[in-house]
Order: sequence, then structure tokens, then C-alpha cells
Amino acid sequence: MVAGSNSVRRARPLLGTFVEIEANGLVQAEVVGAIDDAFEAISTVHRLMSFHEPDSDVCRLNREAFDRPVKVHQWTFDVLRTSIELHRRSAGLFNVAVAPALQAMGILPQQYADEAADVLRPAPEAVELCDGNMIRFRHSHAKIDLGGIAKGFAVDRALDALRRSGLINRCLVNAGGDLAAFGSEMQSAHIRHPRDPARVICQIDIINEALASTARRFDPFQSTETSGSAIVDPRGQTPANAIDGVAVRASSCMLADALTKVVMISGTGAAGLLELCNASALLITSDGEVQITPDWQSAVHLAA
Amino acid sequence: MTEWVRYVLPAVAVASVASPAYTMEYLSIEEAQKQAFPSATQFTPVQAGRIWKAEAGGRVAGYFIFDRVVGKHLYIDYAIALTTAGAVQKVEILQYRESYGGEIRSPSWLAQFVGKNNTNALKINDDIRNIAGATLSSTHVTEGVKRILATYGSRLK
Repeated sequence: MVAGSNSVRRARPLLGTFVEIEANGLVQAEVVGAIDDAFEAISTVHRLMSFHEPDSDVCRLNREAFDRPVKVHQWTFDVLRTSIELHRRSAGLFNVAVAPALQAMGILPQQYADEAADVLRPAPEAVELCDGNMIRFRHSHAKIDLGGIAKGFAVDRALDALRRSGLINRCLVNAGGDLAAFGSEMQSAHIRHPRDPARVICQIDIINEALASTARRFDPFQSTETSGSAIVDPRGQTPANAIDGVAVRASSCMLADALTKVVMISGTGAAGLLELCNASALLITSDGEVQITPDWQSAVHLAA
Repeated sequence: MTEWVRYVLPAVAVASVASPAYTMEYLSIEEAQKQAFPSATQFTPVQAGRIWKAEAGGRVAGYFIFDRVVGKHLYIDYAIALTTAGAVQKVEILQYRESYGGEIRSPSWLAQFVGKNNTNALKINDDIRNIAGATLSSTHVTEGVKRILATYGSRLK
């Protein structure tokens, strides 16, 4: 903790989870103001990229982008550009066009769903980027869901707002397990056991970097049990269940968030892509084994 | 890249690695009121302990509503700031608590952690501040906000 600094910690329900922001600065009122701006950036991402809000860029694309190019916000365009690059680099494993399969599984609502749509239809390179932030879909059945990358992007925008304020010397933004930290001091995050959220399996040191995790869904309003994975393998369009949970470290939370989906599907086979992205990963297999990329060993403290 | 490093997790029966109840207090009701309506000079109760009218210089600035959603293993205190037109200005979490009954352990559970070598050894003073892993759903708070709006949104105007 920096001498004479004020630490402020706030949480709001956004992005379908609880977003928590902690920041340190010299003047408390300024820290509170910077945190408000950071939450505002997250709200903007939520409004633009929600699958559930009819006026979002994502819903407009899903309704209209096959009929005509649709103009989107610069942020939506940036997320789609990264998504397409990852789709290419992961040999199709990262795919934002799996929405029809998620709808069939009941994870996404059926709005605008094509009842006749064949959910097994692969949608390679379904999205085309055009000039002037315009997007066009190449297939009539294409539907995107940015749930696998937008949360990380939102964390990056919030961290950016805090950093750019010039008033913050240290902060951490945590959107339901996708988090990013800024500041010279080491911070830490604890990873829950994917099958038993009451257990913590490790502590991870983070410094000026992002950490994203993916695991089974968890609702402590109902029980301590976790439900199945919401990740779909685009090759078979079935839930990815061989790996229980994944954590990825990267320079940006958008990249970390997206890479968790690839590791969840391809496991240790993602090593090449991780290295290319200068990222590290930890995965927990369904038989209780933990595997960590060697570059990350020193920052991960496992439970005995 | 060299080979991934492998570990085997301890059996689930090892109770000592169960995390303690996770509690986080963000804001008191008074702090949240001031933050939601910085210009307000007075908060007049409309319904005791639940709804306040924020007033600035004799004029109504908005309404502040405290609510709680309770589940089997989780409860959340939150507050909604409404504009004078009855629209949501802000939803802020005041307190968050997860509990797992018999699995609760004292903070010394952290002493059970070891790293791969001595330089990795956990500092026992570190508390759990940032949790990652299974994603928590905020659906219940969102439903709570809808319920509050349906009940009070039009009445408070």
C-alpha cells in the first residue's frame, strides 16, 4: 500500500456477473470519480455487445448483417477484428459464431433463432469486416455471441479508464473472474475449484497483466454445486467437458478471456497459440490433475 | 515451448483447503447514499430502513432504495438510486457474503498452501481479495432491481 493513498473498492452487477473495482490514489474523491468512469466504460461494452438487449450491436448484427452491412461502434469492430484473427490462428477453435449451438443447449435465449437452422452447420469465417466499421455476415444462419471475449474487453476498457485518469497508482478490475491489474505492486487472485467452489486450488500472482478463467457455471443462490460448461467445441458443436477449468494470463484481458475458450477445448494442444500470444495457462482436468505452462510456474501457488 | 508441468490435486476429502466464508463489505447505507446523491443535503425516510428521498436545497434529487437478495449460500445487500422520473441511475453492491456452513475454516487455512519451492511459499497474511474460477451469476440482483422498479418505480414519482 502506498503511503498516504486512499483505497476504494466498489462492486456493481454488470455483464451478467459482479464487477468489482479496487483502486488506490491520493485523493479519495478523485478515486471514486475514476471508478465511476471505469464502470461507465463497462456499461458501454455491456450495451454494445449483449446478446440479450435488442438494441445492442450484437443483436443488430444477428438480425440484419446477412441482408446488408451493419455499422457498429469502434469497440465492437475491434473485438470482432481480434475474434477473427484468433479464429484463424486457433484453426477455427475460437469461434464467435457458435450462438446457434448455445441456443440449442438453452444457454442463450431463442430470440431471433431460426427454427430451421441447422446447429451443426460449421460457420467458418462467418464475419466479414468492411470499411467504415461496417460488418457483414457471409451466411444467412450466422449468429454471433461475444460472450467469450467481450467480458475481457470490458475489463481492459475499465482498466484503461482508470489508468488514463492519471489519478490512480494501483488498481484491479475483476469481472466475475476475468481480471486485470495495473500498478507496480504485486496483486493476487485465488482460483476456485471448478467442481467445488468452496475450495480454493491456488493463488496466482499478477502484476500489470490480465488473468481470465473459465469453468463450470456456479449459482450460490441455489447450491454449492456447479453446472456444466458453457463452452462449445465448434468442430462437433458439443459442450467441452474433458477439462473442468482453465486460467490464462496475458497482456490484455480480452486476449486472456478468448484464450481460455481455446484451452478449454484443446487442452495442452493450445501451447503453440499461447506461446504465439505470449500467454500462460493453467488447466484442471476432470480427473483432478493440474497442468501449468512452464513459464507460469513461479507465479502459481498450489494448494498442498 | 517445453512440456506442461503436471500436479495432482489433493482429494476432495481434504477439508483443510476449503475456503472460509467469503465476505466483502463495500459501502454502508450512509456512504452509498452520499455517493449516489453527492449534492443532497438530507435523506428523508419514506419507508423505514428501506427507502429514502434525497433532497438538495429543498428540491427532490431522487430516491435511494436498499434491498437484499438472499439465497442458500449467498446474500447480497445492494442499493438502487432512482431519478425523480423513476429511472435507475445506479445499482451499487453494498455487501456480499457467501457461506458454506460446516466448511467454514479460520484464516489459518492458508497455512496449508505450499508452493513448489520455498520462494513460492504463500504469505499467510495474504487474505483472499480476488476470486477467479467458476463464474457467479448476477441474475438475482437484476431480478431484484426489476421487482423494486415494478413495486416502487411509479409510486415514488
